[in-house]
Amino acid sequence: MNPFISIMLLSTLVLSTMIVTISSHWLFAWIGLEMNMMAIIPIMMKKPTPRATEASTKYFLTQATASALLMLAIIINLMYSSQWTIMKLFNPTASILMTMALAIKLGLAPFHFWVPEVTQGIPLTTGLILLTWQKLAPISILYQISPSINLHLMITMSFLSILIGGWGGLNQTQLRKIMAYSSIAHMGWMTTILLYNPSLTMLNLLIYIIMTFTMFTLLAQNSTTTTLLLSQTWNTMPIMTTFTMLTLLSMGGLPPLTGFMPKWMIIQELTKNESLLLPTLMAITALLNLYFYMRLAYSTALTLFPSTNNMKMKWQFYPTKQMTLLPTAIVLSTMLLPLTPMFFILL
Amino acid sequence: MNLFTSSILLTLFMLTTPIMASSTNFYKSNKYQHYVKNMTLLAFIISLIPTTMFIHTNQETLISNWHWITIHTLKLSLSFKMDYFSLMFMPVALFITWSIMEFSIWYMHSDPNINQFFKYLLIFLITMLILTTANNLFQLFIGWEGVGIMSFLLIGWWFGRSDANTAALQAILYNRIGDIGFLLSMTWFLSNMNTWDLQQIFMLDQNSSNIPLMGLTPAAAGKSAQFGLHPWLPSAMEGPTPVSALLHSSTMVVAGIFLLIRFYPLMENNKPVQTMVLSLGALTTLFTAICALTQNDIKKIIAFSTSSQLGLMMVTIGLNQPHLAFLHICTHAFFKAMLFLCSGSIIHNLNNEQDIRKMGGLYKILPFTTTALITGCLALTGMPFLTGFYSKDLIIEAATSSYTNAWALLLTLIATSLTAIYSTRIISLTLLEQPRFPPLMSINETNPLLINPIKRLLIGSIFAGFILSNNMPPMTTPLMTMPLHLKLTALMMTILGFILAFEINTYSKNLKYPHPSNATNFSTLLGYFPTIMHRLPPHLVLTMSQKLATSMLDLTWTEAILPKTTAYIQLKASLLTSNQKGLIKLYFLSFLITMTLTLLSFNYLE
Repeated sequence: MNPFISIMLLSTLVLSTMIVTISSHWLFAWIGLEMNMMAIIPIMMKKPTPRATEASTKYFLTQATASALLMLAIIINLMYSSQWTIMKLFNPTASILMTMALAIKLGLAPFHFWVPEVTQGIPLTTGLILLTWQKLAPISILYQISPSINLHLMITMSFLSILIGGWGGLNQTQLRKIMAYSSIAHMGWMTTILLYNPSLTMLNLLIYIIMTFTMFTLLAQNSTTTTLLLSQTWNTMPIMTTFTMLTLLSMGGLPPLTGFMPKWMIIQELTKNESLLLPTLMAITALLNLYFYMRLAYSTALTLFPSTNNMKMKWQFYPTKQMTLLPTAIVLSTMLLPLTPMFFILL
Repeated sequence: MNLFTSSILLTLFMLTTPIMASSTNFYKSNKYQHYVKNMTLLAFIISLIPTTMFIHTNQETLISNWHWITIHTLKLSLSFKMDYFSLMFMPVALFITWSIMEFSIWYMHSDPNINQFFKYLLIFLITMLILTTANNLFQLFIGWEGVGIMSFLLIGWWFGRSDANTAALQAILYNRIGDIGFLLSMTWFLSNMNTWDLQQIFMLDQNSSNIPLMGLTPAAAGKSAQFGLHPWLPSAMEGPTPVSALLHSSTMVVAGIFLLIRFYPLMENNKPVQTMVLSLGALTTLFTAICALTQNDIKKIIAFSTSSQLGLMMVTIGLNQPHLAFLHICTHAFFKAMLFLCSGSIIHNLNNEQDIRKMGGLYKILPFTTTALITGCLALTGMPFLTGFYSKDLIIEAATSSYTNAWALLLTLIATSLTAIYSTRIISLTLLEQPRFPPLMSINETNPLLINPIKRLLIGSIFAGFILSNNMPPMTTPLMTMPLHLKLTALMMTILGFILAFEINTYSKNLKYPHPSNATNFSTLLGYFPTIMHRLPPHLVLTMSQKLATSMLDLTWTEAILPKTTAYIQLKASLLTSNQKGLIKLYFLSFLITMTLTLLSFNYLE
């Protein structure tokens, strides 16, 4: 893509999210979200394949609907509170509508249908942006309206997301779809704790972004988009197999890796609020996620699929792609657990 | 201070001396057998002292010497109860054992392990005496199990023969089934009366409860071969004849009856249990008498006869006449042991032939054995003024003049006549007519080791009834008057049986082979009881347990219920959630429905 357009789009993307996060007027938040959507659609269409077109169209349609609903919720709130400040909403209908609009934006169940298809249709780095950067804006709004969100609705949607994220990922071999379902599940975990302790939502979001960034960068090194391709990394860059395995396990939430930290904190916070069945079920269904991560790790690092002898003797060149921040990201996504007390700064 | 306690303890101790001598060199010599026999004789003589004292001065003793253990509030000690029953039983048992031991010196003469045989017989005797003299249920149980184990060892004496092994195992299994009842009673007594001492039990049990007696009844049924637990007794004839004579006619099989007699203070107040015992005994006596009619092995006929008499003893207990039952135990021991010894003499002389169809014409060849056999059979059937008369006739009189179950009475009377019939069968097929055994037989009964025991038991069969009845102190009011036809019932039934038997005997003179009718088959195959019960329940139980273990436990509970079901659910769920059509209109439809439902439900549930 033309570098000028590229710079413009990227800067609009960043700017729009910042507008959403720092604004205190509902209209400007909405504008920010619209700008966000507008900016990312061309980025998704970098390679104009029919797949990408379809992905962008679906993304546009869903996000536009969500923005419309958001506007409706804002207007109802205006009607009942006669002010545009971003704070808790003053009407249950508005609250429900806004929650659902933001759920569509995030890809929470039962509004999750677009996430795997959109993620599958776009190149890997765009998928990275979709799954990490695009989550910042809606979550910041959720954070701000969290006192007025209906508990039952939120818990239902988040638990359903965890379930669907787990079950949906079991049947996939395409890595982008796997990452999409993993994003759905992680969103579920994040929004569970939103009404009890929003700082943990932020913590979870942060760790999730780091881990997803690591994962996508690792995948982008070899442009692997399927499990089959992933199982051949031992040939090109053997060290990547170890990193992939560690990152996957961290995403599954295994101690002593970083991914354990948000899950642990969330379960602790939920039990402090005397809901015992929910965290138990959440932890059990997180095992589904872990299972398909383990499957990937298995085919990547723990076994060698049968291959011809020629493949085994491939000449290993220096990597030509830019590995932006990959070592840092890997370290952050696997070794951050002892630094858990540090995150009180998020409070 | 008199000789009572010392005599008892000396008797019991004297019998253990040969056991202790078995670890010395003396055990290997030829004199060991005579030593054991003489010890038993001396024990018999010394045991007469306390018995005489009891008869004359009504002295009963409770010897309690060694305190073994106290568990919480239960005190267990070694205690011997020398009362009416044990004091009268000891000399009888010792006398008979002495005779049998002398007989088995002759019978087992060619056996290389004869000394071990005597040791086993002695251990059996000791455990039987422990059983009868026990004052607490624990000691009784020791004796109970001891006689069971010795029975196993002695039945399987010729262990090279597989039939003997299975018979021994059968004896143990049937006894064990009865032991379940025994243990139930013991537990009940322990938890409800905090004791196993008989005195305390009799004192505390005012309104005698059902459970302990219902537990003791199967125990007695198992040990004394009542119907349902009876097949082991004919199978036990696989053991040597002295074993059959001692264990399975006089001593061990009466242990069950003895147990119920011991508990008569509980039983005399409990009508339902009495009725149950009565019915069981009546059924046993008739059934086994029917089975005895068509058996061909002489020892099996006598075994069934024993079983029938045991049923009769049960009937007596069911009539609330424990002392009569005890009298019958003592008298029955004499003539039954003698019958077995006679059959042993016949078997040994005919070169180990046990099938009565291959005997005959021994009337002139073995005169003494013939005399003893006929006398024994007559005593068994209750010929007036022989031994059996004193107990059996009294039992039938008591039965006919009690306010009791008429059906049980009818069965008992029929069994009485059947007794005469099979006794006639034994006599006519073994002793009378022409010989059916091979001609070259060396038959003689000149050995004093054979003759003397039978002689003694013969005198006992004739006079013991008289002596015992006159010396046993009456514990119940005897029945003095009854109508003539009731008095003559037993005699009439027996005579009827004899007539029928002689009549039927003349039928079998023609040459055509009569195929056995259905009734004969029923009787020969022991009522099909072993055929059915030894095959069907084990088969069912084993297949059920196999199904339980493999299908239910292995396949279903540990495999299919959780792991496979979970895997199946996850599979279906993942297919469900990731199976998307890709049509965005469907997605929007789902969004619409969700939103409508949510708004409706959450708004109106406020």
